[in-house]
Amino acid sequence: MNLIDQVEQLFIQDKIDIFLGYKALDGHLLPHGFTRDRMEELKALQVSEGRYSLEKIATHLTEKHPDIRIGMIARECNLRTLNLLYTWKQLNPENIETINISCCPSPLKPHSDCSYLEPKQTGAYKKTHGIDFNADPDTFLDDFNNKNRFSRWMYEFNKCIKCYGCRNICPVCFCDECSLEHASLVEPGTLPVDVPIFHLIRATHMAGRCIDCGLCEDACPMDIPLRLLYRQVNAIVSDIFDYRPGNGTDQSPFTIIGEKTVLEPKPMDAQLEGEKEYGL
Amino acid sequence: MDCKFVPAVCSYCGTGCGVLFEVIDGKINATLPMKSHPVNHGKLCIKGWNLHEYINSYMRLKTPLIKEDGRFQKATWDEAIGHAAVKFNQIKDQFGPDAIGVLVSAKITNEENYLAQKFTRAVIGTNNVDHCARL
Ligand code: SF4
Ligand code: SF4
Ligand code: SF4
Ligand code: SF4
Repeated sequence: MNLIDQVEQLFIQDKIDIFLGYKALDGHLLPHGFTRDRMEELKALQVSEGRYSLEKIATHLTEKHPDIRIGMIARECNLRTLNLLYTWKQLNPENIETINISCCPSPLKPHSDCSYLEPKQTGAYKKTHGIDFNADPDTFLDDFNNKNRFSRWMYEFNKCIKCYGCRNICPVCFCDECSLEHASLVEPGTLPVDVPIFHLIRATHMAGRCIDCGLCEDACPMDIPLRLLYRQVNAIVSDIFDYRPGNGTDQSPFTIIGEKTVLEPKPMDAQLEGEKEYGL
Repeated sequence: MDCKFVPAVCSYCGTGCGVLFEVIDGKINATLPMKSHPVNHGKLCIKGWNLHEYINSYMRLKTPLIKEDGRFQKATWDEAIGHAAVKFNQIKDQFGPDAIGVLVSAKITNEENYLAQKFTRAVIGTNNVDHCARL
């Protein structure tokens, strides 16, 4: 069954209220919410090479309609994120249906249909002064001494324009209050950004959370190799706790510590509660 | 319930990054960078990321205001443009066209900037026209 028929079936069997996929508009493949009352639009449903975080959109929909049943196109990275969002109670697995899309390179499609699988190019200056996007975290540790690694990371961090794009685009950044907006940690309204604290705060938070989708690195206007940093942090988590974020829906070592976690996630219907409180 | 994504161009500066408004139930809920846009390739600065904040701000002006008796009063566009035209003419008659200057912006299009300088030179009659990109 092709994609469109599969989605049509989900609507006919009344399994979903909305389906998140992609649709072409003015030559751009953009995310779109397909609904039952506009079934004719389904003809235009497509898969896109550019990746948008459909699951983050799902959390926004759930904030407004806590019982909404959502279907979505899901690649490997989307599935890992969904698992993590279930673990952290940002989405209810009973309300999500996925149509899984293969992402793996194969002899037929060297990079399949996902931008993530295209290796990033690292320029010559970045190679000598900064960090190669495609460096292997282990050899990176072996190749350079502490001092050299520190100066390379500082070269990268110092480029930061404090756009908060890495946090905004990240599907697993769902805290009620973000530490990066905490005035005592990161001074608001000033540039340059506090380095390396800004990046290290985010790096520690991604321990046990980052599912390595690469969206942050894609969104970083300054080409800071954020994934390498978060991979390194998660290597520690996997060594100590044998836990890989998004691999399953088991509780994470960071959610079982107690009722109260350090990074308090927002409740699933946060927006609705807020709107009630302010009478909107 | 409705969820759509509307492409637009960031209105904050002349770079013109492509943004995507996440519209849920008719209200702009978030701003995303447009991945396939030739200008910004899926990246934005902090202003672009927060476009929805000013669009939804309760402080946003939704009608023109005219100051009367020291207080701003709501007005229609015709009233506001008429009022500005009368005042410009008064200033021009009393002090001459060089008493008026026009500052244009990188936030508007090339064509709008062209129109603004045409208006300044041909209608008002002064060369006092400048652009924020020169500041
Ligand atoms: S790779 Fe980046 S965007 Fe993706 S989960 Fe990790 S930190 Fe978030
Ligand atoms: S994980 Fe850290 S960076 Fe992300 S939203 Fe929470 S506090 Fe902010
Ligand atoms: S996306 Fe890049 S430039 Fe923007 S805040 Fe994050 S690290 Fe800094
Ligand atoms: S996102 Fe930033 S750089 Fe891009 S147009 Fe808007 S203000 Fe300018």
